[in-house]
Amino acid sequence: MGKDECKTMLDALNKVTACYRHLVIALGSTSDSQNLREELKKTRKKAQELAVANRTKLTALLKDKSISKDDRAEYERLWVLFTSSMELLEVDMKRSLEIGQDFPLKVPTRHLIQTGMTGSTTTVAARAMSVQNMKYEADANIDTVDLKELETEIAQVDQMMEEMEMKVQVAPWAVEAKQEAGAELKSTVSVGNSSVGVISICEEEPKETVEGETGLMKVFAGIIFTVVLLIAGILGYLVINL
Amino acid sequence: MTIRSDRDHGQRYRPRMSCLKKLEATVVQMQDPSTGVKGTDQKLNITTIPHVITGQDIVAWITKNVNIDNDEAQAFGTMLVAFGYIYPLQDHKKLVLRPDGSLYRFQTPYFWPVQKWKAEDTDYAIYLAKRNIRKKGVLHAYEQEEYNKLHKWMNHKWDFIVMQAKEQYQFQSLSKADRVVFDCQERAYWIVHRPPPQTHSAMDYGLDRHIDRNAEEKKTYDYYRRIIIYTQQAVMRSRVKSSVSLGALAKYITTFKNHDPFLVPCLPSNPWHTDDNSYWELNAPDVEIPTKMSVERWSFSFYELLNDPRGRADFKIFLKKEFSGENLAFWEAAEELKWGTAASMSEKAEQIFKTFLAPGAPRWINIDGRTMGLTVKGLEHPHRYVLDAAQTHIFMLMKKDTFYRYLKSPVYKEIQKKAISPAPHNFSEAQLQQNMRNRRPSINPIITWQKEQEEKAKAAAAAGPVDIKKLMASKLDRK
Repeated sequence: MGKDECKTMLDALNKVTACYRHLVIALGSTSDSQNLREELKKTRKKAQELAVANRTKLTALLKDKSISKDDRAEYERLWVLFTSSMELLEVDMKRSLEIGQDFPLKVPTRHLIQTGMTGSTTTVAARAMSVQNMKYEADANIDTVDLKELETEIAQVDQMMEEMEMKVQVAPWAVEAKQEAGAELKSTVSVGNSSVGVISICEEEPKETVEGETGLMKVFAGIIFTVVLLIAGILGYLVINL
Repeated sequence: MTIRSDRDHGQRYRPRMSCLKKLEATVVQMQDPSTGVKGTDQKLNITTIPHVITGQDIVAWITKNVNIDNDEAQAFGTMLVAFGYIYPLQDHKKLVLRPDGSLYRFQTPYFWPVQKWKAEDTDYAIYLAKRNIRKKGVLHAYEQEEYNKLHKWMNHKWDFIVMQAKEQYQFQSLSKADRVVFDCQERAYWIVHRPPPQTHSAMDYGLDRHIDRNAEEKKTYDYYRRIIIYTQQAVMRSRVKSSVSLGALAKYITTFKNHDPFLVPCLPSNPWHTDDNSYWELNAPDVEIPTKMSVERWSFSFYELLNDPRGRADFKIFLKKEFSGENLAFWEAAEELKWGTAASMSEKAEQIFKTFLAPGAPRWINIDGRTMGLTVKGLEHPHRYVLDAAQTHIFMLMKKDTFYRYLKSPVYKEIQKKAISPAPHNFSEAQLQQNMRNRRPSINPIITWQKEQEEKAKAAAAAGPVDIKKLMASKLDRK
């Protein structure tokens, strides 16, 4: 069915958008490197392919006049999903161009911002490209060459968005979302202990109250223990004496 | 619908924030591992996160490299934190630079404030959704409110927002330290751009502009025509010699310099600083005894005297004693005509003519023949500014003659003696806090307006044309 195909493609585009945003956030910081620039390039290309595929599919579906009203509403909803993804992608691409220009890699003294992030972003990129391991094969001056390509790609995306706006007559505000508020809480994949650890690190307030409570408990336990010891001692003394 | 920043058909541009680019240069210098601020590691349970700096190191570095003194360096550092280039690790909601051992970290360039990129609502919604997942539905009150609002307004995009939030939440494959840093960074970004209630944001910039300040204006025919008209009008303006204007400015400054609340602390205390209303109460329009500062101010110029309602009342008392109140009454009536409603204008004009301008009127004012002729002619078709010439004439009369007599009169001297000079308040920290808690809204403006109207009615009744016959009759009766 056209709908399911569309949904899977949109999911993939969504994943790639999220990964691209994560990579752009790491740009210019200490986890920036040659590899990161290459990852950005690859993710971007993948995003563009997906975008073009999505667009052709959705425009074909929407142009079809012979579909039912429910179907049309569904396709409009998917169209809104698609345009929102593309907007995010476009903004991220423009920002990566600016940050890439401000923080070149090939200068004798790199001044990347010491943000505290030191790990690499290989896994994120691998997730975006849906591969197990990333292969890095780019040449040394990727940052300058890539930026020129990036400019042309941004122009392409711009043009695509303009066309989309003009040609497809979908009123975004008329679309009703299927998820209600708080829907994200219901079906998140359980992420194990690691996220709990992150919670306790980032938030100081709950940590303090938790510590206060355990301290109190410890004091109580100590008191009860000493009372029990005392009673045992007294009983033993009485037993010995009697 | 999202307003995309480039294809913004609504044409909203943020004004130039030129300080941001300059701050960026400073921050890049600051974080240099060799010449910048020295970074240490932050230990959290078992993970260590590098690149942590202390407040006092930051202040010391700024003092040395930007070459300013300690207080200014602290203010500069606070601006860096307020803009979001550095974020605090402890007490993350208060964006202040503390010059002690509190820890800070640099923000990644993606989250730096840029004039072109506004913090979008879509991104904020995604962030709130992620936070919702993390905190299992328990958000701060203001965050919950924003979440509900965004859900209502961006309902058409909500599927997208939920999908993105779930995707972005899945980055568990990074190392723990990186994840912590990532979360802290994002949280710091949103505290700067969506400040919690009752905090100030450094990103407040007023209104959006219609023109993109960064783009060059196209030099079309209309542009040149506009420039030509502007320069022609500029050439035609009357010029004043700078010696004259600077002299006037210097004179103004020397006269008023003790009355400026920015230069000299106002007595008893600035209500905006100490939350204590005494200053406003002492300078209220209907106060019995004015302050020494106001009385001094009345002697500077006639305009000041008339502008201060208490001064005007005093001047009225003086004029009553001298039986020459009609000038001031006419001036006030002309002001009322100027500022009044259009519907009441013709009626007011009639009244004024009957009371002040008609030959043989009860309160006839003494203006020269030419002005009188012009005014009477204008009153046939009254408009707002028909009494302007007469009003100016009367004003100059009062200024040149009556004002100086007033300043030498016993009325003024008496009020000078009676005027109070309030002692400056010296509130301690605890008292300031208490004042802040005891803040109450002031008197309802409707009540003040009603009081004013009552006063005016009373004054009008008292100043009406004195019927000599009745007055004599009452006197005769008593006899």
